[in-house]
Amino acid sequence: MVLLTLSEIAKSYGPVPVLKSINLEVEPGEVLALVGENGAGKSTLMRIIAGLAAPSSGAATFQQRKAPTTLVDAEQAGIIMVHQEFCLAPHLTVSENVFLGRELCKGPFTDRSKMERLAREILKQLGSSAAPRSKLRDLRVSDWQMIELAKAFARDPSIILMDEPTAVLSGAEAARLFDKVREFRAAGGSVIFTSHRLDEVKEIADRVAVLTDGQIVRLELASNLTEAQMAEAMVGRPLAEIYPHKVVATAASEAVSVEALTTPGFVTNASFSVKQGEILGVAGLVGSGRTELFEALCGLRPATCRKFSLNGRGRKLPNPREAWQLGLAYLTEDRKGKGLLLGKGLDVNLALTRGALNGSAWINKKSERESLIEAISGYDIRTGRVDVTAGALSGGNQQKVLIAKTLATNPGVIIFDEPTRGVDIGAKQQIYEIIARLAAQGKAIIVVSSEMQEVVGLAHRVVVMRKGETVGELVGDRVNESEIIKLAMGIQEEKSNVRYFGNARR
Amino acid sequence: MFSKIRNLVAAGGLVLATMSGSALAADATIGISIPAADHGWTGGLVYHTKRTVEAMKKAFPNIDFVVVTSSSATQQVNDIEDLISRKINGLIVLPQESDPLTEPVKAAKAKGVFITVVDRGLAEKNIEDLYVGGDNPQYGTAAAEYFKKKFPDGAKIVVMRGIPTAIDNIRIEAFQNALKDSKIEVLDMQYANWNPDKGFEVMQDYLQRFPKIDGVWAGDDDAALGAIEAIKQADRKGVAVLGGSGMNKVIKLVKDGNDMVDADIFYPPTLIIPAIELVTMKFATQAPINGRYVLGSPLITKDNASEYYFPDAPY
Amino acid sequence: MSDISATHVGSTGATGDKKALKLVEAAGPLLALIILMIIGSLMSSSFLGAENLSNVFTRSAIIGIIAIGATFVITADGLDLSVGSLSALVAGVAIMVMNKATGSFGTGWLLVAAGIVFSLLLGAAAGFFNGAMIVKGRVEAFIVTLGTMGVFRSVLTWLSDGGSISLDFSLRDAVRPIYYGSVGGIAVPILVLIAIAVTAEIVLRRTRFGRHVAAIGSNRHVALYSAIPVDRVRILTYVIQGLCVGIASVIYVPRLGAATPSTGLMWELEAIASVIIGGTALGGGFGRVWGTVVGVLILGFISNILNLTGFISPYLNGAVQGAIIVIAVLLQRDRSQG
Repeated sequence: MVLLTLSEIAKSYGPVPVLKSINLEVEPGEVLALVGENGAGKSTLMRIIAGLAAPSSGAATFQQRKAPTTLVDAEQAGIIMVHQEFCLAPHLTVSENVFLGRELCKGPFTDRSKMERLAREILKQLGSSAAPRSKLRDLRVSDWQMIELAKAFARDPSIILMDEPTAVLSGAEAARLFDKVREFRAAGGSVIFTSHRLDEVKEIADRVAVLTDGQIVRLELASNLTEAQMAEAMVGRPLAEIYPHKVVATAASEAVSVEALTTPGFVTNASFSVKQGEILGVAGLVGSGRTELFEALCGLRPATCRKFSLNGRGRKLPNPREAWQLGLAYLTEDRKGKGLLLGKGLDVNLALTRGALNGSAWINKKSERESLIEAISGYDIRTGRVDVTAGALSGGNQQKVLIAKTLATNPGVIIFDEPTRGVDIGAKQQIYEIIARLAAQGKAIIVVSSEMQEVVGLAHRVVVMRKGETVGELVGDRVNESEIIKLAMGIQEEKSNVRYFGNARR
Repeated sequence: MFSKIRNLVAAGGLVLATMSGSALAADATIGISIPAADHGWTGGLVYHTKRTVEAMKKAFPNIDFVVVTSSSATQQVNDIEDLISRKINGLIVLPQESDPLTEPVKAAKAKGVFITVVDRGLAEKNIEDLYVGGDNPQYGTAAAEYFKKKFPDGAKIVVMRGIPTAIDNIRIEAFQNALKDSKIEVLDMQYANWNPDKGFEVMQDYLQRFPKIDGVWAGDDDAALGAIEAIKQADRKGVAVLGGSGMNKVIKLVKDGNDMVDADIFYPPTLIIPAIELVTMKFATQAPINGRYVLGSPLITKDNASEYYFPDAPY
Repeated sequence: MSDISATHVGSTGATGDKKALKLVEAAGPLLALIILMIIGSLMSSSFLGAENLSNVFTRSAIIGIIAIGATFVITADGLDLSVGSLSALVAGVAIMVMNKATGSFGTGWLLVAAGIVFSLLLGAAAGFFNGAMIVKGRVEAFIVTLGTMGVFRSVLTWLSDGGSISLDFSLRDAVRPIYYGSVGGIAVPILVLIAIAVTAEIVLRRTRFGRHVAAIGSNRHVALYSAIPVDRVRILTYVIQGLCVGIASVIYVPRLGAATPSTGLMWELEAIASVIIGGTALGGGFGRVWGTVVGVLILGFISNILNLTGFISPYLNGAVQGAIIVIAVLLQRDRSQG
């Protein structure tokens, strides 16, 4: 008995069509993956199913009845959505968040102990160690995702919709999530999720729907498609090698050298160096202090350091403004919270850092607009209009704007922190091109990434961090995933007794 | 680091505050609870209170005084409760408002404290042992009489009310009663809150609205000063301005002869002086005193202005 | 490629109606002002008279100048509650200084100039103090300025012994033109307000500094990560506010020739209300100086209309003011996007 059907679902925002005639059937006990480039319509489709948006035309049924069209009705019917942007209350505790809106009561009072107990159970199943009583703002981003998931599972759903559920999770956490999904599926629940991690799609999905330009262009069993085939269906063209060819750095001078940098609570005595024209990968598990290290280097955190030299000259650690003036650019992993002014226009965002550095007191709107147009074509930023706010763009395009903004100051050293998080495969490739081109121009590049494939694919050299320390450096042949894992997890021997799945991310 | 220093300073300040609050042994302690200096009249009140307390302390070193000012009725209730817990023997209170202050004062009375109420009464009679007050109805009547005498054939006047309180109501009611059956026409009454800036604004707008104004009762001297400036700016002649309360600046104008201001109403904040002196006498020299002392609110004119002129006072 | 996202740049179509909507949004406060003026002219024949309008504009100039300073502070996501008390303090101290300085500066324009310079310096210093405590001391703006609000007024009350601080009569004529004078038929305070408003609008919209102010209010982290000197800019907004208070006090003093403990009472609320009515978001990120001026005028006209008409019981003045403020804000769309 079919759980969910969509017939000829279409959705337009004004004159802009986002979904065109979607036809889909989902069975109970099935995991369906939605893949597609940013802007292909995945999120819109999910929102329609979840009752957050109404279709412009077409019909949908859920459990043989007319599908609910409001969020409240959908949640009551058992359709639960887990958002990419968290819907959590930072000042409340974990269990309060898990049961937000549906607190369990004993008479007129909330049954706190019961809620804490249930929350702990679900979180344990998901493999999260978050304590039910801790306040959300004291926890890490990956914990937040787990709590979002716990919140969904606590509602006893029939179908769960997940938008990029593993974007911020470590390998172990993702593995545990998938275990829970399998359990859920075995009990008759269904899952529809979107992901850019095609290896995960292969691992957990039963069927895959590839969305392009608002239409489902391929719908088949996941086992019938390779990752490459999925990627090709998404972009509609054969994919060349994802990672650009590595140019071997010739004898170049040292750009940055750091010895024993410490940020209390996050980084202890970390050291590294990078040459001009070189791409240094920085790998490690979530929470190993990579972001904090580079934020500290650029003056965004208090830190002490035994030695820091830039282009051969010894210096004190700079403050944020000095860092930019020295040509040291940090591209934050938090593009929405620390990278772009979401409510302001693209031209304002693009010119923000460059404007703060150059001496002119006046704003030249004309030249800013010209720069914007140049950037849109130069970086292939997909936007219907020029005068949109940054918040209106999709994740991949926002990332490109952030890159354009950073490069506008013509820095000598660029630190990319999670450059392709939440970015689709097509845009990913473009960003890799940009990085390679910058290195070829002689800039020193540092890439911090939790996607090991990315690090291996891009970097000439890799530095690995664990628990706030730089624990090792890999060059040449040793730049591969298993070497990185060993250092990242502190494993000495060849064998390890931790189970990894298939070909996927570790 | 900074927050630690901050906390230390705050803690130190707290200690200092409590220390300063401890009373030394004395024959009697008199607590005085009055409104804070938020406008001219209350400013004068606080000034005269302090001045008198200094003088009394010098004359009778065995009597202790505690003066607290409050900016609202609720704060005053708290202040009185604090005074009671300091075991005062006498309480002199000028209530911000009658109703909320009645119960706390009653409670003090029940503890055997000698109660003196100044100016504004309480909601219930016979709580206080001693009452020293101004005459608010007379205030309003004196203003009405002024205009009736000045314009025996009738006139158009405007009125500015004070802060919306019981006192203002009493004065305005008396004023309106006294104008019944007279030829004086009141064009409008807006609130100027006994404030010079508001008085200025309201007068400007009155002048715009009414092409002929013979006189204005500004409610008190602060608002009158504002009204005077507005009339000057509009270059209107023949407008008589009456304020009230006996501010030294205005009395000077009356004394020196001014075509706009030729009178004032006596209702000064100095009425606190006899209250403090009487209560001090009671405890220092064992002089039994009870009763009601109502100080009149006569009209001040050029003839008697020098009697009421205190150039050094802030009010 | 995908045709959803058109890459050809500068396309209109959907932009057309968005632009029109934005225009209506922006015109909200102006619309409210016009409606208010229409109501005023209907309710009273003296309303549209040149003298009445000049009176109201001139009276509003004082709060207006303060509110323009507040626009900068609020746009950077700050708050300054101490402006009313500071006005009283600056006015009082400036009067005292001028009274004492007649010996060295005479009683003419030189003394007035000295008084003006002093007021600006005092205002700026107080603003700097507020800014330093908030930014470097890392104490909440609400708390710091609540504290200085009390401190400034207390000091003034202490200096005045609860009474008023008056300008010597010999000096009154020298300062009178600052409030009561006019140039080319327009009152001096109005000219000063216009000059400051134009300057402020240019700075906020067209300079690097103005953009930094808006960026900091929009997202302080982003500003920090984008090489903007966040601390410096924030402190500067408070200094600007202090300067504006200094200028406003200079204009205020000649009106009554005195400062009292009740000078400037509630001015901070009027200033902030004007800023909000004018369209600047309370949460920061977007500032509109001309909107602030419109807001000040709306408040000024409300009180003027209530005075000119005996229609509404004066007891209800406060209620009418409050209702009109809420309506004026409702006429704008939600600005939470910043």
